[in-house]
This record gives sequence, structure tokens and C-alpha cells, in this order.
Amino acid sequence: MNPRGEDDSSNAGSGASGLTRREFLRVAGGVVVLFSIGRSLEAAGSAPASTAADVNAWLRVGEDGRITVFAPTPEVGQNLRTELAQLAAEELSVPLSSVAVVLGDTDRVPVDPGVCASSAISTIGMTVRQAAAEAREILAAMAAERWGVPRSQVVVKEGRVVLASDPETAVGLGELARGQRLVRRLKRPAPLKPRAEYTLVGKSAPAIDGPAYVRGKAAFAADLRLPKLAYGKVLMPPCLGAKLVRVETASAATQPGVIAVVQEDDFVGVVALRPDLAGRALRSVQATWEEGAHTSMAALYTGLRATARLEERVGVRGDVEASLAGARHGYSASYRTPFAAHAPIEPHAAAASPQGDRIVVYASTQRPFDHRKAVAEALGMSTEKVRVIVPAVGGAFGGKDAPDISVQAARMAQVVGRPVLVSQSREEEMSWNSFRPAALIEVRCGVTEEGKIAAWDADVYNCGSRGAEPCYTFANQRVRVYECDSPLPQGHWRGLGASANAFAREVHLDYMASELGEDPVGMRLRHLGGNARMERVVRAAVERYGWEDRRPPTGLGAGFACAADAGSCAAVIADVEVERTSGQVRVRRVLVVQESGLVVNPDNLRNQIEGGVVMGLGLALREAVRSEQGRILSRSFTSYPIPTFRDTPAMEIVVLPTTDVLPRGGGTAALCAVAPAVANAVFDAVGRRLRELPLAPVRLRSVA
Amino acid sequence: MAETARPIVIRVNGTEHSLRVERSRSLLSVLRTELGLTGTNYGCGSGECGACTVLLEGQPVRACTTPVSHADGRSVTTIEGLQGKDGSLHPVQQAFLDVQAFQCGYCTPGMIMEAVALLRKNPNPTALAIREGMAGHLCRCGTYSRIVRAIQAAAAKMRK
Repeated sequence: MNPRGEDDSSNAGSGASGLTRREFLRVAGGVVVLFSIGRSLEAAGSAPASTAADVNAWLRVGEDGRITVFAPTPEVGQNLRTELAQLAAEELSVPLSSVAVVLGDTDRVPVDPGVCASSAISTIGMTVRQAAAEAREILAAMAAERWGVPRSQVVVKEGRVVLASDPETAVGLGELARGQRLVRRLKRPAPLKPRAEYTLVGKSAPAIDGPAYVRGKAAFAADLRLPKLAYGKVLMPPCLGAKLVRVETASAATQPGVIAVVQEDDFVGVVALRPDLAGRALRSVQATWEEGAHTSMAALYTGLRATARLEERVGVRGDVEASLAGARHGYSASYRTPFAAHAPIEPHAAAASPQGDRIVVYASTQRPFDHRKAVAEALGMSTEKVRVIVPAVGGAFGGKDAPDISVQAARMAQVVGRPVLVSQSREEEMSWNSFRPAALIEVRCGVTEEGKIAAWDADVYNCGSRGAEPCYTFANQRVRVYECDSPLPQGHWRGLGASANAFAREVHLDYMASELGEDPVGMRLRHLGGNARMERVVRAAVERYGWEDRRPPTGLGAGFACAADAGSCAAVIADVEVERTSGQVRVRRVLVVQESGLVVNPDNLRNQIEGGVVMGLGLALREAVRSEQGRILSRSFTSYPIPTFRDTPAMEIVVLPTTDVLPRGGGTAALCAVAPAVANAVFDAVGRRLRELPLAPVRLRSVA
Repeated sequence: MAETARPIVIRVNGTEHSLRVERSRSLLSVLRTELGLTGTNYGCGSGECGACTVLLEGQPVRACTTPVSHADGRSVTTIEGLQGKDGSLHPVQQAFLDVQAFQCGYCTPGMIMEAVALLRKNPNPTALAIREGMAGHLCRCGTYSRIVRAIQAAAAKMRK
């Protein structure tokens, strides 16, 4: 390799990445590694993108020897920061403490290629690792050139490049980077460190952000105390879809502490010296609204079906119609999952600060680049003039995507010419953001004389195709995914449609097994032939649990389900108790066996799996957004109860080791399997097959 | 702005503050906006989630539903006041860190304050007692089992 020959700094920052990035690269001494977006080890053989627009800086080796990683996906509690630091430090053979990770700052990080947060560790993680490997090779080549030896004669370790034949001859990475203004674009992937040599990846490094969290020093968007900070409150309609007809803001403008009332078309916001004063003034705004037609939630699922438009077909194989017609047994059923709220404890918040001809927005979001674009459009500015910085985020779960809050803050800040913070109340958080899509899934199956599932035919309404293709091998299958008119605004949700699709699939499998008098896990294993990863997870789970010897007493039951998401496979066995008098379902114990490829940080993976199980229990037992006439009724933690300490079961988490070199998203697969496992356990306990979430209380008397 | 004729005097983390604020304002609003103590977080505004928990005369209260007048002449401890003079972590803070009893960290200060109060009352709680004592606190990331473990670990350390 000839590092100097690959110097590509002339292209750095041109094109879409803009002036600010170029400025950044100019001031940043040292060695900067650029990387084509979306290229990972899996695509290593293909030629790198050649246009500057889709190339960005991912990693810098500073003149002080410190490593800075730049990645687009914000930290929202998945502990991405620590895991990326581990991956980079490992490839560069530097101590973990010498790596800093910059996330979610549109002036400093590569443009987000639209990464799904649940699989960020595989996509973003692989890119960071590759960039770190490249930096290592560049620095090694520079040292080799300095000493007039081939690359093979030098070793990179402990933050230095060392001459193999003479360990006294060594040079620090920072010293090599000193005086350099090198920007490298990768031409071919550098070799990755073999797994056997790992010392940091695979160890439970403490969370980098942990000390700030426990000291109360983490700065969330609403914590920012910018000079001359003012507080904004936004007028919200009485119901979804209402149009502002008339508004009178004069009396609000004269309320105590009010700085300005901002009105542009349908947008009305009050800026005041304090949040409570802004809220008080807003209440004196007189607004007349025109309500549109509302879809009745009672007819939710029929409404979805009635408005369905075929979006895509997935996993189509063989001739489903013929197979269904010729089957010995036919089993059809429909499954329903309701709208669910993300309900992060931190409501949406954003602070916008005008700075000269630019505006800086601190936003609680997973998608800073979307926010940048939306703010630029709303304010009529170019995107280069807008900088979005994601501070600490108090939970997101797919719900902090939409840029509305940043646009609101920016509009008001632009008018008053000082920083404005908008932070939603709990009621606003629950009412004015997107929901997990409700889903209707209709499954028809044909089973042969020998008990083989020959046909799988599913119609998936409204929740999308993620996880819709069965993880089993059926000779004939067809999954049709339909877009529908939703009565409520909907968006991403941890795992997207995967949780609804897993619920339908895994309960249906259980249903067919019970009809055929077969063990539900045995039935699954007979159809998992083509899926070795899932089969391994399933076998490990039944062995760990002692599934075959189980003898649950009356009122207790065990249920099995498995799911794959974000590249991970999980099998879940839930032990439930159905209370004799109330019919309430209590989950006593959950076993998860999961395979997530290369495990970067074992304790963190377990933490994410545990959290997924708890969230999955909320979906299984309780969570459903209620609304009436376009008004969200689930506006508090009382009207929308999320899982609590009391709901948390005993959990056993088993992560299977692999020789995989790719890390996989670990926070969603088990979550997806929890609700079907619980539903199947309820059937095991009391013989009632429940096909709608949340699972209603089950009366024992209905069994007899 | 209707302010009080007489200032409200609160000792927060050992420092006395004399504040001319409306008596009905929430303690949370005053801590965050007037005193800049942003470690105490807003989660619901109605005492349902526990994110804003602080200690008032050593007792855990929900700062979002506590009028600042209730703290008049009394002492308040927030998460910022928990560490030692040398900056060393309180055993409960240290245990949360050791167990990684958080994900996003937003509910963490409220959890820690409640746990500190709980361990003062019951230095050797069972897991069940911890779950019951902490039941008013919500963590959407679902780290409950780790929080129970962290409190048990802190209890063991503090008993020594």
C-alpha cells in the first residue's frame, strides 16, 4: 500500500456533505478515514463508491493519539457508543479509553444512510470496524515507510507501531498522525483482526455514558441551559386531523412572561420566559377548529381490511392455492395486534438556537438528518445552515423519528432571535406522536396426511413486511403485505412489523400443533430444516428448559415461540399463571435463548434482551392505544399502563456463542417472541386460544 | 407574574436558596428552571412515573406534584447532591453503574433517589420488598431486574 498515493483530501467534503464538513476536515489534523456508506464486510468485494457525495469521515486518528469515531446513529439507550468504541479500539489495538465516539451531530458525522436503530451495531458497527482497520493499515504503512521495511515487518499494538525485529523501535499512532493532513478514501478493505486475537470485543466493557447517567449529569434536550433560553409551547388541535379555522392570539401576547406569539398558517406557538408561563399564555389563545371525519376504533380491523392495497409479496414459493386445495387438513385464523405507544419516559423535546445565519437544533431524536432537512425546508434555509445535534435521549423505541418538534422549536427561535426549547408534556407525548401500527394478519395453512405443513398463506394488513416471511420451510407459501388507511398516525416501533408477524406465525403454529396432537416445539423443528441458526436456538431452549419433561400443574402453563429480527434468532419459553378468580395472566418466568452473531459486549446484549422481554410483556398483556373521535384517550401512564417492577418476571437469558464475525442487532428478536410465547402458555394453562393482543383475562370456567 | 411577598427559602443539597417564586409552582420546575438542577427529570407531571423523585427532609417525593411551598424552610436532596464531597459516588450510584442498571439513563436519577430512601428505612430488603418499594417508578427500557440487583448490591455494601 502506498498511503500517500491514496491521499484524496481534495474531494473531502465536496458535494452533498457541504462546507461545514469540509471545514471540519480542514481543521482536524491527523489521519482521517473516509468510507463509502453502506459498504460492509459482506460487500467487501465490490468496488467502493467513487463519488465524493456518498463518502464520509468515520474515524480520525488525532495528533495526540486519540481516536475519534464519527457515526450517524444517535445513542438512545442501546449503548451504541460503548460498543462502537470497543470495535474501533480492537481493530486499532489501542486502549478503550483512548477512543471517543461522536454520534448524531449532522455537522460532524457521516450522513445517515437510513439505518434502522435495532440493527445499527451490524451496519454502523461494521463500517466503524472497517474504518479502524484501515486506519491501522495506513499508520502501519507510514511507519514501515519511515523505517524502510515492508508492512509485514511492523506490528500495531498498544497504541504504537512496533518494528517486529527490534521492539525498541516504536512510534506512537499520534506521532505518526502529527503534521499530517491526510484524508484517505478506502480503495479496498483492510484485513480485519482475527477473532482469536480479540481482547476488547466480547468483554463487558462498562457503559461510557454510565457515570453521567448515575450522577444526573447526562444532558437531555430539555436540560440544555443555553444563554437567553426561552420556552415554547405549541397550540395543538382538539383531535387528529382538525383544521384551524380562526385564531385570536392578542390576549396571549399580553400574558405575563410572554416574549412572542408566533403564528404561521396552522402553527401557533407561544414563547415565554418559563415553560409554565408559556403554557398559561397558550391557554388564553382562542382557536376555532374544524374537525374532520373520524374512523371508529370499534371497526379498526375491518377498516384496515376494507382499505387494503397490495404493497408487496414476500417469500412466495410453489403453488399455494393448489396445495391448500389438496391438503388433508386446513387451518385458518386471524390475528390482531393494536396500536401501541412508544411511551418513552423522556417526552419529545428540542431546543433551537439561531447562530448568525445558521441554526443549531438540539433534538431528542433517532434521525438527526431528517430533522435537519425538515428544519431547513420549514425555515427556507439550505441544509448546510442547519446543524442538528442529538444530546442524551431518554428512550426512543422507533418513536423519535418525526421532525415536528425540531421544526416547532426552530420556527419560534427564528422569530424571537434567541434559543427556544420545546418539550412535550406527557399528554402531548402520548397524543401527538406516531404509534406502532395496528395489524390484522390472516393465515391459512394446509397440512398433509403425514402432518407436514404444505401451504402457508398469509395476508398481512398494515404492519409491513418485516418478519412476515416465515422462518420455517414450507413447500408452498405466499405472504401478501397490504398498506391500509390508518385512523392514527403510525411509524416505526422496535422491530417494526416483526412483533405482529411473529405473534401471528407463532400462535398459528401452536394452534396447528394442538389440533394435530403434536408437541408444538416438535412441530416447529420438523419445519426448521432449512434454518440451521434458528434450529440451534430452538434446540438449546428446549434442552435448557427441560421442555419434554414438563408437567405444569393446573392453572400454570408454558408456551414456546421463536422469532428472528435484525439478524438475531431468539427462542422464548414463558411460564404463566392464570389466576383462578380474576382470570388475569401473570408471567412468572421467561427463558430466552438467543444468537446474535459476534457479541461485542455480552452484558449489554443481555441488558437489551431483558429490556425487550419486559417491553414484549407490555404488548402481550396490557398495551393498546385507545382513542375516540380522533382523541387519544391513552394519555398518561394510568390510561396507558406500561410494564412495572411488579410485572417483571424471573428471566434467564442464554446467549449462544458463534464463530460469526458480524455483530447483530440484539434488542428485538426476543421481544417479538414474547407475546406469542405468553399466548401459547395461556393455551397450555387453560386451553383457551387467544388471537388478539393484548391478551384479555382468561376465565377458567370457560375451559370446562 | 404573581410572586410571593415573602421569599421561599429552601436548602438544596446543603446550599440555602432564597427564591421569589409563586408558591404553587412545582418543586420540579423551580429546581430545573430557577436552580439549573437538571438531573431531576420530568416524565409525566402527575406523579405516575417517579422520574422526578427527590428527597424532602430525607423522604422521597415526586417533585412534579410537590408545590415549592411544601419545601419552604426545609431541605431537599437531588441527584446532584448525592455524591460525596470529593465527588465519589454514593454506594447506590456505584451499584447502578456496576450492574449497568440503566439503558437510556432518563429514569435513573429518580430510581436512585428512591432507592437511597428505601435503604435508609430498610437496610436489608428482600427482592420482593425492593420491587414493592420501587413500584411507583417506571423504566420504559425495562431494566427493572437490574435495578433490583443494583439495590441489593448497594445494600450489601452499605451494611458492611
